[in-house]
Amino acid sequence: MSTTSLTAARLGLVACDTCGLLSRPAGPGAAGFCRRCGSKLHGRHPNSLQNTWALAVAAAVCFLPANALPVMVTNAFGSSTPDTILGGVVFLYTSGSWPLALIVLVASFMIPLGKLIALAWLLISIHRRTHGGERQRMRLHRAVRAVGPWSMLDVFVATFTVALVQLDPLMSVEPGLGVLFFASVVVLTMLAAESLDPRLLWDLDPADIKRA
Amino acid sequence: MPDPIAIDALPQASLDPPRRRGPSFIWFIPILAAAVAIGIAVQRVMTEGPTVTILFKQASGVQAGKTFVKYKDVDIGQVTAVELADGFSKVKVTAKMDRSAAGLFVEDTRFWIVEPRITLSGVTGLGTLISGNFIGLQPGKSTKDERAFVGLDTPPPITDQPGKRFVLQAADLGSLGTGAPLYFRRLKAGEVLSYALAAGGSGIDVTVFVNAPYDQYVTSETRFWDASGIDVSLNAEGLAVRTQSLVSVLAGGVAFDLPSFASTESPADEGATFTLYKDQTSAMKQPDPVARRFILYTDSMQGLSVGSPVKLLGVTAGEIAGVDLTLDPETRAFRPRVLISFFPERLIARFIPEQTALAEAIAQGDEAERLALIRHQFDDLGLRAQVRTGNLLTGERYIAFDYDPKAPKVTIDWNQDPLVLPVTQTGLDDLESKVTGILEQVRAILATVEKMPLEGIAVDLDGAIKKIDRLLAGIDTKTLPELDQALGAMRRAMTTADRVLEGTNQTLLGTDAPGQQEFRDAMQEIVRAARSVRVLADYLERNPSALIRGKGKE
Ligand SMILES: [Zn+2]
Repeated sequence: MSTTSLTAARLGLVACDTCGLLSRPAGPGAAGFCRRCGSKLHGRHPNSLQNTWALAVAAAVCFLPANALPVMVTNAFGSSTPDTILGGVVFLYTSGSWPLALIVLVASFMIPLGKLIALAWLLISIHRRTHGGERQRMRLHRAVRAVGPWSMLDVFVATFTVALVQLDPLMSVEPGLGVLFFASVVVLTMLAAESLDPRLLWDLDPADIKRA
Repeated sequence: MPDPIAIDALPQASLDPPRRRGPSFIWFIPILAAAVAIGIAVQRVMTEGPTVTILFKQASGVQAGKTFVKYKDVDIGQVTAVELADGFSKVKVTAKMDRSAAGLFVEDTRFWIVEPRITLSGVTGLGTLISGNFIGLQPGKSTKDERAFVGLDTPPPITDQPGKRFVLQAADLGSLGTGAPLYFRRLKAGEVLSYALAAGGSGIDVTVFVNAPYDQYVTSETRFWDASGIDVSLNAEGLAVRTQSLVSVLAGGVAFDLPSFASTESPADEGATFTLYKDQTSAMKQPDPVARRFILYTDSMQGLSVGSPVKLLGVTAGEIAGVDLTLDPETRAFRPRVLISFFPERLIARFIPEQTALAEAIAQGDEAERLALIRHQFDDLGLRAQVRTGNLLTGERYIAFDYDPKAPKVTIDWNQDPLVLPVTQTGLDDLESKVTGILEQVRAILATVEKMPLEGIAVDLDGAIKKIDRLLAGIDTKTLPELDQALGAMRRAMTTADRVLEGTNQTLLGTDAPGQQEFRDAMQEIVRAARSVRVLADYLERNPSALIRGKGKE
């Protein structure tokens, strides 16, 4: 199966992102607006690469404090214990529940990190116009997009615990600054994955990419 | 190849304005994220405090992440690691300190482990009560920074607060402990620093610290007493309940004050030694250097006990020093004898110098002059002793000295030592004597009326009055004994109540009384309960799933 088959871009056509209507661009360098629904037309998402890069970089920046700062501060009986994500993993592992430790490690550390790496790899492959493996990269992109919202589960658990465990003065849980950064990582990687136009993956013609 | 598409048949898009080139505003997001992250990192580094290590012989109750380092009741750091050191002979405690406290860690800063205590200021929440031990510190004066310390076994004396240290000598420690509060007129004025067995093991030396400005009220005459528990006393004065504060009831405490007879105002020297009295009453009792002893023969010792007051014109001027029975050599009958101690110094008013001087001159003067004064009181002014009921409820009685110009003359053997002083033998109780007094007045009026010239009326009146007189006499002989009996029965009931109360008193307040024991047990129960809550919390922390699945087998 060839991935270099005819595309709308090759034919100089643009498809409406909203209603799917295939149109001829209004003029060179400017696709114009959809006749049917009025949406702005563009051959590829405008600034897709730049936006994805920016959001991915922002996510990477937030990833550091998300892991360095405590996500939860447990106040129990007069002593407060700050818990970071990795600290929690180590704690779970040393206290014997390695399956839980593995789940937390994968869900809260590996997946966000993996998403960042995947985004970077997709972006680099687009820039390098890598031949072959477009299908795999497509699947990866789909996986990154699919897994995105699920990472919010961590944030949900943290906020849930904070709201639930308020047994002052015996015990209380406060959110740490880390959870804010963790949420930022999740949201930013989601936005980055969304802003990456997957069509760029098979745009091997430099002319196509220039359009993006 | 797919089928050819009629491209021209497709609609043509409308024209839009040319796109702006250059970096997108989207880059604002990573820059903002970086700025926030860097800001937090910088703030972290800025507030990063020093890490210190402290070597302890024992580190009971010190836990990583749970034990705090406190200075002036403020958390300034947290223990991050506890490990054995020096070939397992010592415990190395590593603590991360706040940056704000960085200046405290110099060469001669000292650390020690503070065990939790119940103090009113400390129990602000259940958390502090069960938060366990903490590490206290005393800042040094050196300017050389130090990060490795050797902890003290016992807390050092307070030196960074103005005040003075004193030593109190006590028979036993009672319920006092290190940190027990010191009260001056119920204000917290200091605390117990330490205690140690006195040389020879004959008692306990309690070292206390009195904060400025209270230390200036500690003179050589200041009295210290154990203010622990509740002091309930039942005596001729009635029921007295004294406590210092809730803390002293729970955790023990010491109170001090100047007795009313104190004469000096110059503060005592640092390190001065005082006696720790067991209660306020015994502490405030006058030393009474010139106690005079006298003997009274009463008709009954009912309600008189050692320590009961002796009052002169209503002012407590002494106390009963002893009650016993003697055998009258002539009649061979038992005679109750009351030995009283009389403290003339207590009576001297100190406010008018001339009067004070005269009284003191007599009190301190030679025996003949003093005897002459006493003789004057009894022979010329008619001073007489009387046994009176102080508390109708308890039947407590006391000795009262009052001037009675009409008292019959008595002969006193002035050569005896101690002197036997005359007692007005009313034979009746106080109440009875009052009734008799009223009767006598009535008789006096009757006598006057009898002398009136109105013969006829007088005769009738006389008859009527005689009836009244008889009636009154009847009251005197019939009703009064009944009244006396009623009073006696009431008094017996009260004595029982008194015993019960005394029993209660001992049950609740004696040092090794069962009540106090129970109270202690209850407190220990609370501490145990707190400990179990802690254990549960620790368990839940380790096994959060137990909340849902229950406690599985370990
Ligand atoms: Zn459209």
